[in-house]
Amino acid sequence: MSKIIEIKDYSWKYINTRNPAIHDINLEIEEGSFIGVIGPNGAGKTTLAYSINGLIPGQYNGVKKGTVNVFGKEVEAYDTGSLQKLVGVVFSDPEAQFTAMTVEDELVFGLENIGLNLAEIQKRLDWVVELTELEPLLEKPPYEISGGQKQRVALAAVLAMMPKILILDEPTSMLDPVSRSRIFKVLARLKEEQNNTVIVIEHSLENLVPLADRMVLISEGTVALDDNTRDFFQKGDLLLDAGIYPPGVIRFFHELHRKGEYSGDYPLTVKGGAKQLRVMKGVRDKDQ
Amino acid sequence: MNKTLLGYVPNESPIYAVHPFVKLYFMLIVSLFPMFVSAPEWNIALMLVIILFMWISKVNMETLKIYIPVAVSMGTIIFISYTVLGGTHPEFELLARFAGINFYWERIRDALVVYFRILPMIFTMVFFLNTSRERDVIVAMRSIKMPFVVTYVFAMALRAAGMVLEDFQIVRQAEKARGYDPAGKSLPYKIRQYVMYMVPLFALSLRRSEDFTNALVARGYAFTGDAARVKRADYILTHYSYKYFDYIFIALISLSFIALLVLRYGFGYFVMADSWLLRLLHGWLS
Repeated sequence: MSKIIEIKDYSWKYINTRNPAIHDINLEIEEGSFIGVIGPNGAGKTTLAYSINGLIPGQYNGVKKGTVNVFGKEVEAYDTGSLQKLVGVVFSDPEAQFTAMTVEDELVFGLENIGLNLAEIQKRLDWVVELTELEPLLEKPPYEISGGQKQRVALAAVLAMMPKILILDEPTSMLDPVSRSRIFKVLARLKEEQNNTVIVIEHSLENLVPLADRMVLISEGTVALDDNTRDFFQKGDLLLDAGIYPPGVIRFFHELHRKGEYSGDYPLTVKGGAKQLRVMKGVRDKDQ
Repeated sequence: MNKTLLGYVPNESPIYAVHPFVKLYFMLIVSLFPMFVSAPEWNIALMLVIILFMWISKVNMETLKIYIPVAVSMGTIIFISYTVLGGTHPEFELLARFAGINFYWERIRDALVVYFRILPMIFTMVFFLNTSRERDVIVAMRSIKMPFVVTYVFAMALRAAGMVLEDFQIVRQAEKARGYDPAGKSLPYKIRQYVMYMVPLFALSLRRSEDFTNALVARGYAFTGDAARVKRADYILTHYSYKYFDYIFIALISLSFIALLVLRYGFGYFVMADSWLLRLLHGWLS
């Protein structure tokens, strides 16, 4: 798989701030991969997302060092609008990203901006409405629907533009658990059916971990850990030190490991944990 | 009834069958009518016609109450401007003198004429706002080929107004949650305490504008450059089409306007001198 995002020795310092928001970032992301980015608040995750989408340095003043290449081209070299066709961003506050008067207009807005014709707009609209189950909401004003529905609309509006890279910046931070799982259900379908590269910045790891191929920990403005998901969560102590609380099942096996009662890889899902426990019970029964 | 950013619109209404452009055309043209009509009774008749249209359109008349303070305060300002602040005119007919202020018939008459010119204009606007969803306004503007940027700035203004109102509610609730209760306090106190609302609202607005700009850029929108010159498909317009009755309404509105001009300038109708209402009022005040 080819590398579509290459970040080399990248640092960004916002104007009038003492320290860079992110520094010495080296990251390569391959096409079609599903990446989870985690880290404490203020670690620089959003700055990283904006740097890939071109919002930084386009919309912000500051000092940049190093390079951020998307599809082999530095983000500044893209014309306004052309990078956004390739990289879509869903922000954490759905309310703030609505630009239209009905859900349908909201979904269509980006498609008109990139110059699609009516037939293509209709095709994409049908697809994204089916994917995100938004049919009953199309005529409603986006500011009148629930928080979960708002975020699904925001996600759908970006998905409709069919960007090759999709970045979701804490898409479920304002949602209840049910709405949260619906967003991840859409992402799971996307992973299964499309070949998009998806980067999800998220605090809620229960939903993210089963989908992510690879995890990146950003701490104090730099990449503290970058590994495939299974190996990433084996470093429980490092994660806990960085203020990251892995999903319950991983913490449980990590605790067993610390007490010397478990020595294998930590399972990532409850299903995997249950299987592991059955194996452990079988071994214990056999020993007795 | 549905609440929109512009007002309250009925859930079901026969007027929804009419193309949004016709409603916009009605508002723009009919609100010009009073400019050519001086006799107040004709403008009152126009208001009654608009009320009839509202009734046919199933507009909830209860919601119109919110416009009463506007009408009253506007009438008061006009009346004071023409009478109390109207100055001394020895050539005018003095009706009364109170606290050193002369009340002339001509000034009261002019105040009435102006007031009953403005009221129907407001009525046409209210009719439009109470029968048009936000999307209708955008469609109406787009259908007359108004540049997208103009339409969009208008839409963004609507959105911004809605967001500020929502933010205001949030800030107010937050202030109340921290024990702020303006009930029973004096007006100057309330005005002073308003700063408590303004500061967080201002901060929120700044943050929102940044988020909004980011959202526009992320959706590939640009006000300048090549991206701004992209030919837009105007998908929104595919939901609307002109029916035969739309053309009939447009023709009727246009013909009414032409008839009004002909009657006004060709036959001298609608002038103050022929107003029976003003004559009646003059006789009563004298």
